[in-house]
Amino acid sequence: MAGGVTRLLRGACAAVAMLAAGAFGIATASAQQGQPIRIGSTLALTGPLAATGIVHKIVGEIYVEQLNKRGGLLGRPVEWVLLDDQSKPDLARTLYERLITVDKVDLLLGPYATGAILSAMAVAERHGKMLVHHTFGIPKMAKYDRQFPAWHMGPVPEQTVPALVLDALAASENPPRTVAIVTSKFPSVHFIAVGARDVAKKRNLKEVLYLEFEFGSRDFGPIAARVREANPDFLFVGAIGLDGNLLLEALKKLDYTPKNHFYLYPAPGPLAVSPDAKGALSTTVFEDQKPYTDNPVAAAFVKAYTERARAANLPYAAADVQAGTSYTAWQIIETAVTATRSLDDKILANWLNANKVDAITGRLRFDETGNYGDDLSKLKQVQDGRWVVVWPKESAAQGVKLMTR
Amino acid sequence: MPSATLLGQSVLSGVLVGGLYALMGVGLSLSWAFLRLINLAHLALVFLAAYLTYALAEGAHMSPFLAMLLLVPPFFVIGVALQWLFARFKVDEFGSVLATFGLMVIVESVIQGIWTADFRRLETPLSTASWRVGPIFVPVSESIMFIVAVALLVAIWAWLRFTYVGKAMRASAENPDIAAAFGVNHARLALLMAGVAASSACIAGGFIALIATLAPSQIYAWVGVIFATVIMGGLGNPLGILAAGLLIGVSEAVTMALTAPSWAPLVSFTLLILILILRPGRA
Amino acid sequence: MNARAIRPAFYVGAGILLAGLPLAQPPAFFESFLYLVFFWIALATSWAILSGFSGYFSFGHGAFFGAGMYTLANLTTNLDLPFGWSLLASGVAAALLGLGVGAVVFRVRRLRGELFALLTLAVTFVLATIVLNTPLDGGPGVFMSASVLPRIYESPSGTIYLFGLGIAALSLATARIVQYTRLGRGLFAISDDEDVAEVLGVPTFGYKLAAVGLAGFLAGVAGGIHAVFVSYVTVAETFSITVPLFVVLMSVLGGARHWFGPAIGATLVTALTYAFVGGEWAVFGRGLIGVTLVAAVLFLPHGIMGLVASRRKRPPPPAIPAEPPAPSQAAHAPSHKPLLVCQDVRLSFQGVKALAGVSLDVRAGEILGLVGPNGSGKSTLINVISGYYRRQSGRILLEGQDLSRRPGHRIARIGVGRTYQIPRPFRRLNVLENVALYATFGAAGLERAAAERAALYWLGFVGLGDRAHALPLELNLHQRKFLELARALASGARLILLDEILAGLTPAEIDNAIALIRRIQAAGATIVFVEHNMRAVVALADRVVVLNHGEVIASGLPKDVMADPAVVAAYLGKSHA
Repeated sequence: MAGGVTRLLRGACAAVAMLAAGAFGIATASAQQGQPIRIGSTLALTGPLAATGIVHKIVGEIYVEQLNKRGGLLGRPVEWVLLDDQSKPDLARTLYERLITVDKVDLLLGPYATGAILSAMAVAERHGKMLVHHTFGIPKMAKYDRQFPAWHMGPVPEQTVPALVLDALAASENPPRTVAIVTSKFPSVHFIAVGARDVAKKRNLKEVLYLEFEFGSRDFGPIAARVREANPDFLFVGAIGLDGNLLLEALKKLDYTPKNHFYLYPAPGPLAVSPDAKGALSTTVFEDQKPYTDNPVAAAFVKAYTERARAANLPYAAADVQAGTSYTAWQIIETAVTATRSLDDKILANWLNANKVDAITGRLRFDETGNYGDDLSKLKQVQDGRWVVVWPKESAAQGVKLMTR
Repeated sequence: MPSATLLGQSVLSGVLVGGLYALMGVGLSLSWAFLRLINLAHLALVFLAAYLTYALAEGAHMSPFLAMLLLVPPFFVIGVALQWLFARFKVDEFGSVLATFGLMVIVESVIQGIWTADFRRLETPLSTASWRVGPIFVPVSESIMFIVAVALLVAIWAWLRFTYVGKAMRASAENPDIAAAFGVNHARLALLMAGVAASSACIAGGFIALIATLAPSQIYAWVGVIFATVIMGGLGNPLGILAAGLLIGVSEAVTMALTAPSWAPLVSFTLLILILILRPGRA
Repeated sequence: MNARAIRPAFYVGAGILLAGLPLAQPPAFFESFLYLVFFWIALATSWAILSGFSGYFSFGHGAFFGAGMYTLANLTTNLDLPFGWSLLASGVAAALLGLGVGAVVFRVRRLRGELFALLTLAVTFVLATIVLNTPLDGGPGVFMSASVLPRIYESPSGTIYLFGLGIAALSLATARIVQYTRLGRGLFAISDDEDVAEVLGVPTFGYKLAAVGLAGFLAGVAGGIHAVFVSYVTVAETFSITVPLFVVLMSVLGGARHWFGPAIGATLVTALTYAFVGGEWAVFGRGLIGVTLVAAVLFLPHGIMGLVASRRKRPPPPAIPAEPPAPSQAAHAPSHKPLLVCQDVRLSFQGVKALAGVSLDVRAGEILGLVGPNGSGKSTLINVISGYYRRQSGRILLEGQDLSRRPGHRIARIGVGRTYQIPRPFRRLNVLENVALYATFGAAGLERAAAERAALYWLGFVGLGDRAHALPLELNLHQRKFLELARALASGARLILLDEILAGLTPAEIDNAIALIRRIQAAGATIVFVEHNMRAVVALADRVVVLNHGEVIASGLPKDVMADPAVVAAYLGKSHA
């Protein structure tokens, strides 16, 4: 009996050691050659968040390739150490510890989505590392002073996002008088929907319906029936992922089309091509169109992205807000390193706090709450099967205007 | 107080969803009852069929219904092959959870490898079409799904109840020794049953492709509610599954119509717990 | 020195070494990785204490884990309670949840197997919905500051590692203690045949509650620690299907019926998860995890501990003690003093009267034959006396103590033992363990070593001494019937109820059995036996009681009763009267 357990233990230890060696071997071997600068991150490459994780992977590969073609950083080639956090925040935490303490990467880039970024942020804070991230949704939770957001939604999106869309609608030919707010209880969208209630109230819009549904709801039939009954002038949906599509399809089956409708973080591809999504609004900081693509860097990027996305067999190959913020995160790192000629986290962070970065999403500053700065959010709308920026007016392409009913 | 229309519309929505739960669960129930396999991979097969239907309909411009039918024979074979493998290695009930979870992960990886993790949606005119019956809208594709589901469940029920194969299968599940003494060849019947279960996964997958947007990790999103439906309905009881699916679907939908939708699981699962504890009789 | 003395020292030493690991200041990653291994060991082991040992397959471990997580997150963040107390509260909250569910569910005999799995799953959904819609979370998640964790080691990763090690060690120690004490043996009996376990003297309800309470407490504490590890607690992550699914996988892979099995499974699965995190091959790696799991089942059908057990050589049959282990009851001739008295015992099933007012006495030291046509209520009466069924009215007294309100295991303790017409051994315990269980939980109430000695003695008594290490399924019917007898004898019961012990035996085997029953009587036991074989009844019984339609229609000496016209009519129909 005891012999059996001991033998087994020995076997188990050997197996673990082998697996560990396999996992760590790759990184340590490549650290030797030519002293590249190593930038580490994890992404959700498998699991429920993988649909978006792949976008960030493609962007990172494009950026590193372009960067090395330009001669790398500080004259050294750049290597991206990418790990798969399997869409699990606890795994993300452990892997960021691995990137810092075992792989000893020079710089960190954030993982995908708020939960994982919070995990990574805590690790970065413990080790004093700078963390530039692309998709963090709850600015008030970003309490570490060396973390830098690429998605510039401003420090209080729960006020500014609803204000943006209500401003745009108020200035249109059909200013809404009633609003229905329907939201997932997913943390990064829920607080904005709650904020939207306040903003709407202050503007004397009548709230005809407020509903919260569970994250991952599949049956939107009853919710659609309630929206239809409420028949609001404006439907604000705290949507993440497919929620928007599901609700629209359910509404369509009731032969109902919302007059004006907004979706917070929809899966952009499926919503744009959905025949029911005509006129759907959402928020963005980057799109594959003018005026963003007036910037030659952005133009080159969206072209490269579409090629890669097609090659990777992605059904929706246009660069969108996710791809744009991802690219911006890399630009923040490159700009800071080039400006300071340093890889020291403290020097880089101080420089970013004091300076502005020109990125494809706009001019960024990092000197307000949570290192957020200007709110670069724009309003976009599905018109003729694609997203176009419609608000503020000066950001819209020539001849494009907000459509309302 | 919600209007009668809203209530009616919600009940209908719950009924249709309940039918989908039953359709997705019936194969799981059959293999659990008659093969003593807790086949988690059943849901993976459902999604594999959904992706294949999508591919045939989107890529080869085939009617999704034709695609679904074409896929049934290969899925029958997959079911038979898996059962042969499990029987060959004498996998027991406990082990089957592990093995079929492994299969589920493999299928998920294969799907992600071929179609990527990005969302896939089969756009057909059917997906958002509906009929109007008085003030109520009846969605077309869900209704077809529901009719097919009910027909399939009733057919399986009748098959188990009235044919030799069905009776032999039930006898064998109750007491394999006695059934064997009466000349029932359990091994061969088990292959047939596994084939039928996998075929039902194929049909369910075809309708998932019509109704839902696909992503590889969606496989796991259904595990909880499908398990609940299957066990609630009574293992190996197709009509029971339908009743259980309807109960869960309708109670959720009505809660969503009356109160905050995020409370819906509380109502349906509390109801389920109460029924389990208070229901007299049935062991 | 013997192995028994070395082993605890080895465990303690290993524990101290592991606890000191952070002093060597390894990279934080190693601490965190090992923490995750410990975390899963704790969860999988706690699951096995309930589900592996007792066979109550829970799909609701996420509820215990989640209760612990949210308790700690809320207490430390919203109420600013210290970490230690909050952690204890996490365990207590989850244990209370488990006890609450158990107190309701374990009373319902139907809710076993898959229905129990469903119930626990449903509880998880309900709990998740409540947390999501109340201030416990409410939607935004609970974000915990890093200062919640006390500073034991310099680095937070070292400290959390230590907590992980602690809960893993606590879980393993609990599982090991449970496995080798009465509780564990009772749980194993429950997992094989709960009804038999109750009637042999295992307090099944209490034991199941103890198991679910322990499992809940350990999972709750593990959840509390994990809340600090992830620092941001959300409903979608906490109550996802991952936890219930993974604890099952790990336990099954390692072997859920051994205290150490789940730990092996947890280590392997966690290591496997980490082996494929490279960005290039993520999807492929995930596929490989699936392949590994399938291969593990095909080639290790009973888990790793199962493989170890099957490789272990069966020891030779032990020597049989010559003396009866416990002071046997003074042998006495049939007396007129009643040992058992049934007064007007009634029981109906859905309106059908199974027992329509049965009154009878069993005198100390006698062999009472209980006969009657099929469906006359004989087996029902045995089931009522032994406590499997509860009588609806009437009284059952054993030496003046009323049995009729007591649960089955209390009745066994007082001194009633029984056999089953179709033998119901615990199929995953060997013959010796089967008998020893009765010596432990029955009226004899022996400690472990004494119980084994007693078991061996009675196995020798019935002639099964050389099959002590066999599994029941390896025995033939005759041997299994004798195993039933040995179990009843080892229980130390004063009253032994034999339910058709002779049915299905050959004439030679019947003679053998009759001789054995005489020897049992000579050893001092009182016997009630239900029998169809009239030759045996006449040969054995001191007195006979005849039941028909749930009523006593005759009683007395065998030859008188057999001549009673009412009895003849009952057996052969009215026309012969």
